[in-house]
Amino acid sequence: MTRQTFDAAITGIGLATPAGLGVAASWQTLVEGAATAATPDPALAGIPVAFSCRVPGFDGDALLGRRKAWRLPRLSQLAMVAATEAIADSGLDPTRWDGARVGVVIGSGIGGVGPWEEQHRKLLDEGPTLVSPLLIPMLAVNMTAGYIAIEIGAKGPNFVTATACASGTTAIGIARSLLRSGECDVVITGGAESCLVPSIVSGFSQMGALAGGDREPASASRPFDVARDGFVPAEGSAVLVLERLADAKARGARCYASVRGYGASADAHHATAPDPQGVGAELAVRAALGDAGIDPDAVDHVNAHGTSTPLNDVTEAKMIRRVFGERPAVTSAKGVTGHALGAAGGMEAAFTALTVHHSLVPPTANLDSQDPEVEVDVVAKVAREMRVEVAVSNSFGFGGQNASLVLTAC
Amino acid sequence: MSVYDTLAQLISSSFGVPVEEVRPDVTFSELEFDSLALVELGLAAQQEFGVAITDEELSSGDTVSRAVDIIESKVMAQR
Repeated sequence: MTRQTFDAAITGIGLATPAGLGVAASWQTLVEGAATAATPDPALAGIPVAFSCRVPGFDGDALLGRRKAWRLPRLSQLAMVAATEAIADSGLDPTRWDGARVGVVIGSGIGGVGPWEEQHRKLLDEGPTLVSPLLIPMLAVNMTAGYIAIEIGAKGPNFVTATACASGTTAIGIARSLLRSGECDVVITGGAESCLVPSIVSGFSQMGALAGGDREPASASRPFDVARDGFVPAEGSAVLVLERLADAKARGARCYASVRGYGASADAHHATAPDPQGVGAELAVRAALGDAGIDPDAVDHVNAHGTSTPLNDVTEAKMIRRVFGERPAVTSAKGVTGHALGAAGGMEAAFTALTVHHSLVPPTANLDSQDPEVEVDVVAKVAREMRVEVAVSNSFGFGGQNASLVLTAC
Repeated sequence: MSVYDTLAQLISSSFGVPVEEVRPDVTFSELEFDSLALVELGLAAQQEFGVAITDEELSSGDTVSRAVDIIESKVMAQR
């Protein structure tokens, strides 16, 4: 059975990432391949891995106004700033649209754990009657989409997708489905995460998932490098405005790239380790290609999940080689940004759209010596100018939850 | 500093209300406080003044000076 393909145009992008506040700053840092991990992160003092990738200079009070910002956990502040930039960039006017036709689907893996840590301390130290009444709306993972809707009057479907480190990618795939089914005319989508707090980072550290704490922070996130030893935790948000391509063209909107394919799968293998054969990941990628009606050999570029963990990068590279051969230029943004978990897929979809738009593949930072088991064409050190008609962006989450997007030039 | 001045400063610094909006006769709903924000203000006031304001005692229709009266009477009662 052949199915008609469907293009969801990306008409607006907003970024608050470790690579910079705003699209222009983030893209410039990414293209330069400048790593962003810094030490010390005061919030992580005393933890074996005390460095992280934070959004530089992010001050929610200053950007949103304290009156709005005090009620929001940091991940929602990041998303609100990114959403504001994305909507302005799209040229849509929230005071004029039919809010019932506007959906919000944001990916988030963990939620507002900063406020949870603070209030839990308060509970233990001062008792239950001093716990903040804002704890629940700050902690609950669904709230970021709700807050964005309140801000912009979006009364359509509204939810958060939680597929761990694939959350942002899942969100964009589902957002596209809402346009395809006709449930929405506009969907505000992407990812948001900020969980750089002692309990969460300790948890990742105890799993052995993080880069060694004795490493030089700036070079600790090194996807596909032979000396990689884990990921560097990060925060951030990316928000995209999606519309049906025909609608975008009809209103004369700029289109960065179209989301033409989405695929999802489960490893059904292990809670946190990827299937060593990458079977689940391959299913997601092939499903996305099938949805897009695109042959693997038409793919010019793969924005890899590329976490810098020993397991992910080899498994993913072998899968990419199996599906696509040697042809596509592969990169991982995480050498620059670290791993922003539930936000990563949103950030990387935005980066992939910008890659298509600018015909420029950013390099994988810190790739000094490519792991010999990684037998794909990884762009290292210097950005590569090339026409990208078709790109794939991968995300793989704990729980074996995989998601992949196919983006095409508009 | 008077109870009013301290409370006004708290409303401004913690809840982001511009100083010029805070007046004795303004209601909390005019300051855009919902019920959750009022509970949060009660907790902040408890830390600041050592007396609790409960949500039965203060609603969003009440003014800032009503909150000051509650705090002052409770502080007096403790002495």
